[in-house]
Amino acid sequence: MKPSALARPTCWLAFTWLVLIALVGLLAPWLPLPYSAAAPDLLHIATPPEFSPTGPAHYLGTDPLGRDVLAGLVAGARRLILLSLPAVALATLAGAAAGGAAGFWGNRGLHLPVAGLGGLLAAVWWGLALPAPAVAVVLGAGALALALAYWRWPSRLPKPPWLAFAVPLDSLLLGAATVLGAVPRLVLLVALAAGPPLTQPQLLGLLALLAWPEAARLVRGQMLQVQALPFIEAARAGGLPAGRIWWHHALPHACRPLLAFAPLSLAGLIGLESALAFLGIGQGPDVISWGSLLATMRQAPAAWWVAAYPGFALLVTLLALQKIARVIGKSILQTP
Amino acid sequence: MAGWLLARLGRAMVAAWAIASLVFISSRLLPGGPEQALLADASDYSRPTTTVRSGASQQAAQQAVRERLGLGLPVFYFTRSAQPAQAWHWHGTANQYHRWALGLLRGNLGYSYRDGQPVVVLLGQALTYTLPLALTAAALGGALALGLGLYLARAPGGWVRQAALALLSALQVTPLFLLALALLLALANPDFLDLLPAAGQAPPGATGGQLVGYWLARSALPLLGLVLSLLPVLTLPLVAALRHEAQADYATTARAKGLSAAWVLRRHALPNALLPLLTTLTDLLPTLLAGTVVVEVLFALPGSGRLLAEAAAAHDYPVVVAGVLFTAAARLLGLLLADVLYFVVDPRLRPAA
Repeated sequence: MKPSALARPTCWLAFTWLVLIALVGLLAPWLPLPYSAAAPDLLHIATPPEFSPTGPAHYLGTDPLGRDVLAGLVAGARRLILLSLPAVALATLAGAAAGGAAGFWGNRGLHLPVAGLGGLLAAVWWGLALPAPAVAVVLGAGALALALAYWRWPSRLPKPPWLAFAVPLDSLLLGAATVLGAVPRLVLLVALAAGPPLTQPQLLGLLALLAWPEAARLVRGQMLQVQALPFIEAARAGGLPAGRIWWHHALPHACRPLLAFAPLSLAGLIGLESALAFLGIGQGPDVISWGSLLATMRQAPAAWWVAAYPGFALLVTLLALQKIARVIGKSILQTP
Repeated sequence: MAGWLLARLGRAMVAAWAIASLVFISSRLLPGGPEQALLADASDYSRPTTTVRSGASQQAAQQAVRERLGLGLPVFYFTRSAQPAQAWHWHGTANQYHRWALGLLRGNLGYSYRDGQPVVVLLGQALTYTLPLALTAAALGGALALGLGLYLARAPGGWVRQAALALLSALQVTPLFLLALALLLALANPDFLDLLPAAGQAPPGATGGQLVGYWLARSALPLLGLVLSLLPVLTLPLVAALRHEAQADYATTARAKGLSAAWVLRRHALPNALLPLLTTLTDLLPTLLAGTVVVEVLFALPGSGRLLAEAAAAHDYPVVVAGVLFTAAARLLGLLLADVLYFVVDPRLRPAA
């Protein structure tokens, strides 16, 4: 980011707000709050914000279930840090790897020996016969061996000398992205969360599953352009292994738009997760987020403070993420 | 070109089937099936005096419910037994997935777990509310976006245009549920401004005209929410495309001939700028249907979005799977519409006859 971009007041505001949210979310267990988020204060149900000089007060009021709004805001910020942020990180990494590989090797670039086909069949059979951890170990070892082989294999040979078949990486990626994109993300999320309440890791995985195709499409498109650049050709002519060209030379270039895309993706996921919590689908009753706080609003329309604070926090967070994404996007465009 | 269109549609249909199958199988494999929820309801409310059942009789009751709902069969063509032996079993066609797929081909989407009604009937009833809402929102949003796009692309860089663009980009990132909640709290709140009805029943004994008026008032706020969520998606790309076209050589020539800027924008730049907008049309219908999930829950409209949300909250899986299928079908329709419109609008794509 350029210093001139940071000098503008709106950008500073956005940045400060995000840092504030992150700090509150990280330090939530150690903050000196008068009330806990989950325990209802049944003597004060839907009380307006109050500032009493004596004793602890509900500084931002309580919701119709008697839960402290301030503590709920802090719990929501913690959920943002522990759920949405890792989900976006996971989705972006997975999308970058998958999209980068699909764009670089295409449908015909990645050759596996026909013997590998037998190995694949054997792996499938093992996967059906063995317990899950052993399958993970075997698949991981296989992927590692494949990666090592490609790290060493010089790319200037048009085709490996052994009998080989091409892995249609590009078609596989586009097919998976098309299937996941056949339905809007909110509908798919509602449908997949329709079971018993999800645990936090399950919800994280689900959000990442919904978010990775966008990043993958972006990196794939960028990789198709990067691949035609002269320095990639030079690296190939130099006889570098294909895997190393991909990792060292092509992928860093293809991933540059992700810097601006990741904040937008985070904003999208936060909105999605809040909508799910607002609808109350797939959530345990004890889970508190900004969306579930907003949902309690419908039980007491007069209690403006229940909606105003979480709604404000959510809106400002999303706007700040959009602003940051725009600033990063501009600075990427300016520096060639 | 027809072959290309068919291939495109075929791919979209395969994707729709795949996503519905994914939702179907994952819903059947979840722990805590619907029979437990149903029995828990029954023991909680309808028979409060009965004592807690013994384990054996409860299991028998659960098994009976599973049989009644058609859940006694294995889920897929092959399954893995949960015992430590962990053997694989082949079940042939006697499985739930096969039955579901066959029913789907015959137009039978199954029966709701909650009240045993056919899902097709439930969905049909819900669509009589959702389709007018969604189509009106699409028409209004499209018309507004066209006008707003032409205005924003033309107006000189004053504070009005800046403010409108900033507002649109802020709307783009605002989730629909927040927007709709703000509308609800501002305009349909008995404690603030009680302008429009947002819940409740139609007045009893209302005649045709009154009923229409009532539903118009009821759907004003949901419509406003949907249109506002649609506007940035449609307008911002249109403004960008119009500005890009206005800098093209043919636009310069047209201005050099002495045509007014507005005329050039409307008659010369707009036809070219509209083409990218047609792609947005593909996603318009499914986006609207997803939007109705939030809006109909919030404004208590008995449409398909609310049906989906309530079914998901009540673990009513046949309705959920049908909702996913229906949304995917709407996307298919959007795809078809966009392709056909491309042919109509862009003469370059038409096959030379």
